[in-house]
Amino acid sequence: MKKSAFSGLFIFVLFLALLFRLTHLDRRPMHHDEANQAVKFGNLLETGQYRYDKFDHHGPSLYYLSLPVARLLSHTTLASLNEKTLRLVPAIFGAGLLILLLLAKGEMRGEAVLFSGLFAAISPAMVYYSRFYIQETLLVFFIVGLLIFCWRYIQRPSYGWALAAGFFAGMMYATKETSIILFGAVGMAVLFSLLFQNKDKDKKIGPAKKLIGHGCVGLIVSVLISWMFYSSFFKNSSGLWDSFRSFGLYFVKAGQPEWHAHPWYYYIKMLFFSKYGSGPVWSEALILGLAVLGCVAVFKKKDKDESQFSFSKFVIAYTLITLFVYSFIPYKTPWNLLPFYIGVILLAGGGAAFILRTAKKPVLRWGMIFVLCLGIVHLSIQSYRASFVFHADPKNPYVYAHTSEDYLNLIQRIEDVSAVHPEGKDVLIKVITNPYDTWPLPWYLRGFSRVGYWQDMRDAGDLENVPFIITSSDKLDKLPPRIVQNYQSEFYGLRPEVLLNIHIHRDLWDKFLKQR
Amino acid sequence: MSKGVHKMIRTLRIAILIQCLLLFIPAVASDIPNQDQEKELLELELPKPMFVGTPKNIRTPNLERITGKSRGPFYVPKGTVLLSMEKAVTSSDYEPVIGDLEFVTDGEKSGEDGYYVELGPSVQWVQIDLGESYSLHAILIWHYHSQARVYRDVTIQVSDDPDFIEGVQTIYNNDHDNSAGLGIGRDKEYIETNDGRLINPRGVVARYVRLYSRGNTSNEMNHYVEVEVYGTPAK
Repeated sequence: MKKSAFSGLFIFVLFLALLFRLTHLDRRPMHHDEANQAVKFGNLLETGQYRYDKFDHHGPSLYYLSLPVARLLSHTTLASLNEKTLRLVPAIFGAGLLILLLLAKGEMRGEAVLFSGLFAAISPAMVYYSRFYIQETLLVFFIVGLLIFCWRYIQRPSYGWALAAGFFAGMMYATKETSIILFGAVGMAVLFSLLFQNKDKDKKIGPAKKLIGHGCVGLIVSVLISWMFYSSFFKNSSGLWDSFRSFGLYFVKAGQPEWHAHPWYYYIKMLFFSKYGSGPVWSEALILGLAVLGCVAVFKKKDKDESQFSFSKFVIAYTLITLFVYSFIPYKTPWNLLPFYIGVILLAGGGAAFILRTAKKPVLRWGMIFVLCLGIVHLSIQSYRASFVFHADPKNPYVYAHTSEDYLNLIQRIEDVSAVHPEGKDVLIKVITNPYDTWPLPWYLRGFSRVGYWQDMRDAGDLENVPFIITSSDKLDKLPPRIVQNYQSEFYGLRPEVLLNIHIHRDLWDKFLKQR
Repeated sequence: MSKGVHKMIRTLRIAILIQCLLLFIPAVASDIPNQDQEKELLELELPKPMFVGTPKNIRTPNLERITGKSRGPFYVPKGTVLLSMEKAVTSSDYEPVIGDLEFVTDGEKSGEDGYYVELGPSVQWVQIDLGESYSLHAILIWHYHSQARVYRDVTIQVSDDPDFIEGVQTIYNNDHDNSAGLGIGRDKEYIETNDGRLINPRGVVARYVRLYSRGNTSNEMNHYVEVEVYGTPAK
């Protein structure tokens, strides 16, 4: 492929990726997990303080990498933040992934890099989670970096490649401490590649002493980066140690997933075929099918000039190990498919390039191009539906315990009614819910100065003259009769099957109705 | 000492005296009992939200939702029969998104797909023509009971006028902010269950029953699984 054609097509693919990732970032209501992350980041933004929590919420890189974006857009407080700014961070890394793929051009054919970039740009799963303020897209970005530089190191061992691989490994760990699973998968893939490399390549590996030196450099860099982030830039000495201690907690969580337990085929089925109720059919089978073809192509290769154990074989090893481990772990959430799915996408790129290369006859070649184009259009339509139409609808397989769109009506109601209260944004709001029903309220009520959160009605003190009381609908029966009489109550959807009640003091409600 | 110097010293003394007084006044003023100054801003320390992990994802319908409370018996005059079965249904939405308007009175009350009619967003209504005027004693409504949700601005009106211009009587209205534009109602919102919602029309006489709603807590659409109207011949 000509350099100019490659450049032109790559720019088009990058444009597609940006279009899908940057448009209407604020359309979807904030997910429970996004709101948790947002409030944690807001605290870092306002106070400059962050302390790693070994119990939940993973590594600190998301928060620290959000800082320059927020500051660049002139945000200084949690209240001033918005969904667009926050989601811009994963969106940048989701699109940046394509730039990173350019580094794989030496290890993959140009066509394969282009197709991999295209599938990463338009895959509904990749697009959806690139617009989600959680760690996964950042993790995928760093995984791709680690894979590329590990492979480069295997091919041409040097301190430079060891350092680069160490940097990406460190960033992976700083993003999610559970990335040790992925280190295991990459390590095994490296081992496979070393074991099955041909004799010519063996010469390039070099003496063991040198390898140990390289390994030490990579390890020191990765530990330094991890330490830097987990210690909150050297302010919390126990941060890195706490991240090691979290392994036990995550191990227990993985084995006792409660409501996140799903069968081993959960991820594959979700990608292959999903349909819920009257919703549309969802399928990324094109990418899965092309990945299988990509694997076949690697093992059928007869080109003696190329390494017998190519980059693609390295990716196959990584992808299969990761898929196996992630499928084996009972704890599953849909965004956890991304670490192995990026491997599938890389292989699918190779598969698409392979079928175009092998179809020599013009009719067959054009036929293949036509089918591929249809598949690409179908994937794009699904991405559009997933992120812009069914973005919070349970009919979308990537929507998981998501906040209902109706929730925004609750927030609007609080905004509208508080506007007629003399205290405005300083009005007292008491939230009495179980912790899972509390979020994402702290994000949406970030502009209100007096919001309290309780789990038990008895602990919330006097409720008789509180302007706003928000309760889970299961607490409705526990409300004192006087509250029922003196308040206007409304239902709002939080998530499917989960409702919240807002109780607005009758005087305030009447004033609101008069001023409408 | 010249007269001018004396004058300057005297002016200086007066100035110092005034300055001292100015400094002293706030101190004295702070001792004066004052309602506002006896109070101070009470800094409330409200509990912070607890950070927790991903909540439960619910996608499967809950067909047999247990309400925990029985509706209890409901008494109607002797001879009350089901009037609405397979009666003509019209709607503000001529082309329902899912299902047919006939579903509203076909006797099928299952909450699964294929048993409900979905009307478009915003305020929509369905209207049942009972064929002639009856004395109405019970109306039972199932909007959508596969999932815990609340329908907004549920308003039920009856009339002998098919266009609902004359002789319109409202027998249920939970539109507490008049967002549907049919007036403020004092009835309560409720969570949909497979028990349906029983409304007491208190014997009102009418031929047409019109049911309004304006979306629900899960989406903007309006749904009906079944509506049953019970009554006796009008006297």
